Amino acid sequence: MAPKKLGLKQRYAHMTRGLDWETTYQPMDAVFPYDTFEGIKIKDWSAWEDPFRLTMDAYWKFQAEKERKLYAVLDAFAQNNGQTGVSDGRYVNVVKLFLTGISPEEYQAHRGFAFTGRHLRGAGPRVACQMQSLDELRHIQTQIHTISHYNKYFDGISEFPHMHDRVWYLSVPKSFFDDARTAGPFEFMIAIGFAFEYVLTNLLFVPFMSGAAYNGDMSTVTFGFSAQSDESRHMTLGIEVIKFLLEQHPDNLPIVQKWVDKWFWRGHRVLGLVAMMMDYMLPKKVMSWKEAWEIYFTEAGGSLFQDLARYGLKAPKYADVATADAEHISHQNWAVFYQYTHAAAFHTWMPDKEHLDWLSEKYPNTFDKYYRPRWEMWAEMEKQGKRFYNPSLPQLCQVCQIPMAYTEPGDPTKIAFRCSEVGGETYHFCSDGCKDIFDGEPEKYVQSWLPVHQIFQGACGGATIPDVLNYYRMNVGADNMDYVGSPDEKLWNEWHAGKAREAV
Amino acid sequence: MGHDLTIEPLGETIHVEDDQTILDACLRHGIWLPHACGHGLCGTCKVDVVDGEVDHADASPFALMDFERSDGKTLACTARLLDDVTIEAEIDEDPDQRRIAVADYAATVTAIEDLTHDVKGLRLTLDPGTTIDFQAGQYVNLTIPAVRGTRAFSIANPPQENGHVDLQIRRVPGGVGTGWVHDAVKVGDRVAFSGPYGRFFVRKSRGGPLLFLAGGTGVSSPRSMILDLSAEGYVAPMTLIHGVRTQADLYDRALFEELAAKHPNFRYVPALSAEPEESAWAGERGFVHEVAERVFERRFEGMTAYLCGPPPMIEASIGALMKGRLFERHIFTERFLTASDGAEKKSPVFRRI
Repeated sequence: MAPKKLGLKQRYAHMTRGLDWETTYQPMDAVFPYDTFEGIKIKDWSAWEDPFRLTMDAYWKFQAEKERKLYAVLDAFAQNNGQTGVSDGRYVNVVKLFLTGISPEEYQAHRGFAFTGRHLRGAGPRVACQMQSLDELRHIQTQIHTISHYNKYFDGISEFPHMHDRVWYLSVPKSFFDDARTAGPFEFMIAIGFAFEYVLTNLLFVPFMSGAAYNGDMSTVTFGFSAQSDESRHMTLGIEVIKFLLEQHPDNLPIVQKWVDKWFWRGHRVLGLVAMMMDYMLPKKVMSWKEAWEIYFTEAGGSLFQDLARYGLKAPKYADVATADAEHISHQNWAVFYQYTHAAAFHTWMPDKEHLDWLSEKYPNTFDKYYRPRWEMWAEMEKQGKRFYNPSLPQLCQVCQIPMAYTEPGDPTKIAFRCSEVGGETYHFCSDGCKDIFDGEPEKYVQSWLPVHQIFQGACGGATIPDVLNYYRMNVGADNMDYVGSPDEKLWNEWHAGKAREAV
Repeated sequence: MGHDLTIEPLGETIHVEDDQTILDACLRHGIWLPHACGHGLCGTCKVDVVDGEVDHADASPFALMDFERSDGKTLACTARLLDDVTIEAEIDEDPDQRRIAVADYAATVTAIEDLTHDVKGLRLTLDPGTTIDFQAGQYVNLTIPAVRGTRAFSIANPPQENGHVDLQIRRVPGGVGTGWVHDAVKVGDRVAFSGPYGRFFVRKSRGGPLLFLAGGTGVSSPRSMILDLSAEGYVAPMTLIHGVRTQADLYDRALFEELAAKHPNFRYVPALSAEPEESAWAGERGFVHEVAERVFERRFEGMTAYLCGPPPMIEASIGALMKGRLFERHIFTERFLTASDGAEKKSPVFRRI
């Protein structure tokens, strides 16, 4: 009998043996100072099963070909003026939201995984974090390249890194990642690796990529595919890390549960931006946010947490509240952006009749009762030349940093307010979920950089709205305000008038 | 129609329908392949096509690159067979698995015994000169003329007895197949079966204490395993918890008690879940998993567990074992999958259990 061929797993083990060693010049605890303070107990790092079995050599080869394919499509899109073929000029605001709100978080994820990989003492998770860190760097790079083409024609994206660190709504995703990156390495892995990359990732990427596909944006679809092919590793890593922690020591369960509760809730709040995008910003709709939530959280998340229940892990606290929120969150967010359109770097509009009817159909329990009358009133005010702007600055939730515009669970006519007192100061929250997070670690969240507080403290260029917009580097009259009347709309109409002339 | 698919390194061959994906076929046959998105985008389910032709169908060009296509890779979640195909997948090889070719056997029914009011024991004796090689815990597919198909039954005798197979078959109320076994089969009848099948066998190379949890006729596999291990002189502790409803449903008690008397490392715990409270039964009461928790004080760390029985019993037992800190790596289960079982929504947290 011929000698038996090695299995894939054995081959990988032979190629990667000896990546790990016990240090001798310095104690291991000094080399890895951060993997114990969170209280997580690891009895046996070697029990980590490397689920990828990908060598760095193979990794580079794969990623290089992904890049070649992607850039071929991007070049073709640019050469063929693909931007003129999207469904409507309004669509580009989706891309703006993605580049300003999501892409910088890819970079944050890159840095977070690089740091975490460095500080976990097991070789398996270290290699996995290293690859994911490089993936995330590739993602932000390709997203910037993809969207740079739109920047030649449309407003609102040229200052995205500057805005990311300053603008009020961009502090929502930013603070999410800041929170994760300033946690210990295990919490980061649960926050980003598990909660974000596994539990919630489909609710982020599928809406944007399907939205792009439905609206003729091939360049965004292609970077979506390119990124999603890396997601298999990320999702597997997320699952692997939670199993590993739960199997290593019974004391890890309450710690992990607290993180799962926290990061589910924080993720759900960030995804409100996606909800608004799906229901209001896509000219051609994919599905409603409520439908997406049912498929990707209620069903898929349901089977996930049913399986994890075997470890004693419960479904995230307030998952029921989040599911009830799916009836409201997109409408309430769009209302905020409509009122503050003068301070946002993308355009807003009131839905037309066809769009309103679609919303009525998708939200039969809530839309006609709570939101449609308001939209119709605001549209009427626009017609009369009294377009409604909110001239005040909103109060922000100390944890999620979203304006306090969300309503009480069970009563969509009443704004929810929660607060806690620490050191003689009162801190405000939009929900029980955010209050719990604060109360669990008040010394962390009292330090939050809240954009509105900073304006009032004089840290944002001045006391008036023009001062603040200047500080944001917002090109007033182009980046902000309604789509109707914007330079974007003017350009779009010119293209289409040109196309109509050619067709005659 | 359809084609045959051989999965390396298992060496197992399964049938795949024309419009069925490799992943779907494997999962329905109880073969777990790594997978995530399920529609050709993520690349988690990438396998090597060693032989034969596949249609990559909707595999994304980013998840399955051109150079990989020419290197013979495919995505199991989208690929359809154009041919009989052999793939190599990332499946852990099991040092305890023996490769035994499946064969067709003709046999004569030489004994039928009423084990309980609704369980019959059948001995199917092979023709003179014929023997069957199998691993304790495996099963056979018995041809049932009444349904023009086969039904799977675990082999209850140990592999040392290789001239016959003993099957323990409960009458499923309203079931045509088991009804045929109970009502029509007589001593002297000729029957046909194929086997052995399944990956439910003892991981002997791991050593250490073993826990067998069986529900009803699910005891037949553990019976074969325990008899085999005893014959080989396995020294580490072995415990069998056999759960049935009432005393009237319990069988093979004398056999296991005798075995326990002879082998001090073997412990036999029959457990009754619906025995009338006033009865004289002095043994354990409750479901298998509850009894296991009591007997082992909720601590299962360091054992290897073999579970065989109806799905609710297996699910409850897995929950109890995991709460007692025994995890997937050390839990093996046998459940007979039907065509609809692959469709149930499972997360990718667990591979086998």
